[in-house]
Amino acid sequence: MNPSIALPSARRITDLLSSGLETRGKSKRTAMDQPRTDEDQQLVARTQSGDAAAFDQLVVKYTPRLYGLVYNMTSNHEDTNDLLQDVFSKAYKAIRGFRGKSSFYTWIHSIAVNMTLNFLKKRGRRFHLSLDDVDASIQNDKEFLELTQTSSPVREADLSELQKRLNEAMMKLSDEHRAVVTMFHIQGMPHAEISKILHVSEGTVRSRLFYANRQLQNYLDEFRKNPVA
Amino acid sequence: MDEFNDNEIGKLLRLKKYEQPHPGYFDNFLHEFHRRQRDELLREPLWKIFLQRAQDFMFRLNVRSLTSYPAAVAAIVVCAAIVSLKIYQGPETTTNVAKQNRPAFTAPANVEGEWTLASPVATRVTAQPIRRLNESVSTHSRNGGTPPRYVLDSVPVSYDTAFRF
Repeated sequence: MNPSIALPSARRITDLLSSGLETRGKSKRTAMDQPRTDEDQQLVARTQSGDAAAFDQLVVKYTPRLYGLVYNMTSNHEDTNDLLQDVFSKAYKAIRGFRGKSSFYTWIHSIAVNMTLNFLKKRGRRFHLSLDDVDASIQNDKEFLELTQTSSPVREADLSELQKRLNEAMMKLSDEHRAVVTMFHIQGMPHAEISKILHVSEGTVRSRLFYANRQLQNYLDEFRKNPVA
Repeated sequence: MDEFNDNEIGKLLRLKKYEQPHPGYFDNFLHEFHRRQRDELLREPLWKIFLQRAQDFMFRLNVRSLTSYPAAVAAIVVCAAIVSLKIYQGPETTTNVAKQNRPAFTAPANVEGEWTLASPVATRVTAQPIRRLNESVSTHSRNGGTPPRYVLDSVPVSYDTAFRF
C-alpha cells in the first residue's frame, strides 16, 4: 500500500473530528468509526496469522495521526520519530496478545500515549523545541481566518511567532494535561475515547481539560498583552 | 477582546495540526521501520528468534489454547515437578552407589583370606575417601598377578580396650 494514499484519509478524519466536534451527534461518529474498526479488525487478524504486509498497512494508516499525537506532546521532531518507531515495534510484538476488547485505534493510541508519557518522565526538563514547519494550507483554514480577523494578537503575530507561543504554552502544562489537551483540541477526540486511552474516567478527562484550559489562558494572556515580544 | 476564552484556545490549538514534518517523511517512515526491525532482529539472540518462529508456527496451526496462560502455567508446574523429582532421586542414587561399592571392595579381601577381622577392618577401609580406594584399585591392577598388600594397624581396633592406665 502506498503511504501517500493513506495520508489524506487520516487527515480528513482529523479534520472531520476537529471541526465542530461538540455539535456532532454520537450516531454520526459511530457510523464513521464502524468501517475503520472493521478494516482494522481484518488487518489485525491478518497480522496475527503472520501476514506482515497487513501490519504495514496499519503502520501507514496510523503514522500521521500518531505522529501528531506524539509530536504535540514532545514538541520535538527527532524524539517523535524515535518514539513512533518504538511504538509500532512494540505494537507488532504485542499484537498476538491483542484480543479485540478495545478497538485497534484505542489500543495503539494507548501504547503511544503511555510510551510518550514514560519518555517525558525520563527526559524531565532537559529538552529543546524542534518544531516542524507550519503547512501553508493554514492560510486557507476557516478558523485561522476567523482568528486573524477577530483576535488582535493572532492578527499581529506572524505564523512562526504564533507557533512558538503555542508550543511554549503547551510545554508549561504537565505531561498528563498536555496529553488530554492534545487529544481533545488538536486530535479532536471525544472525551469517552480519551478516557479509554488513558484508562481514567470521563470526569477526570473533563477536569484535566478544564484545568489545562485555565492554565493555557493564563500563559496566552501574556501573548495577548504583548503579541510581538 | 480582552482575553482568550475556551473556544478561542481550542481554535488556536487546532491550528497546531498544520505543523507537519518535511515532505516525504511519512513515505519513508515504513522503510525506516523495516530497517530498524531488521537491525533489531540481527541483534537478538538465536534462541529468541527460534522461540518467535515456534510461536508463529503454533499460531498458524490455530493451537492458541495450548499457548494460553493456564496451559503455560500447567506446563511450568509439570516441568517443575519433573525437575524436583530428579533432584530428590539424586542423593538416593549416590547412596546406592556407596552401598554397592562397599561390599564390592571388601569382598575380594575376604575371599583372599588375608583379613580375618572382617567387620572392624572393613568399616575402617570404607571410611576412607573414594579417591584412595580408586588408587588402591589401580595399584591392584598394576601389580598383575601379585596379591594386594594391605597395611593395617598393628593392633586391631576391636581388641583395644577403651581405657588404658
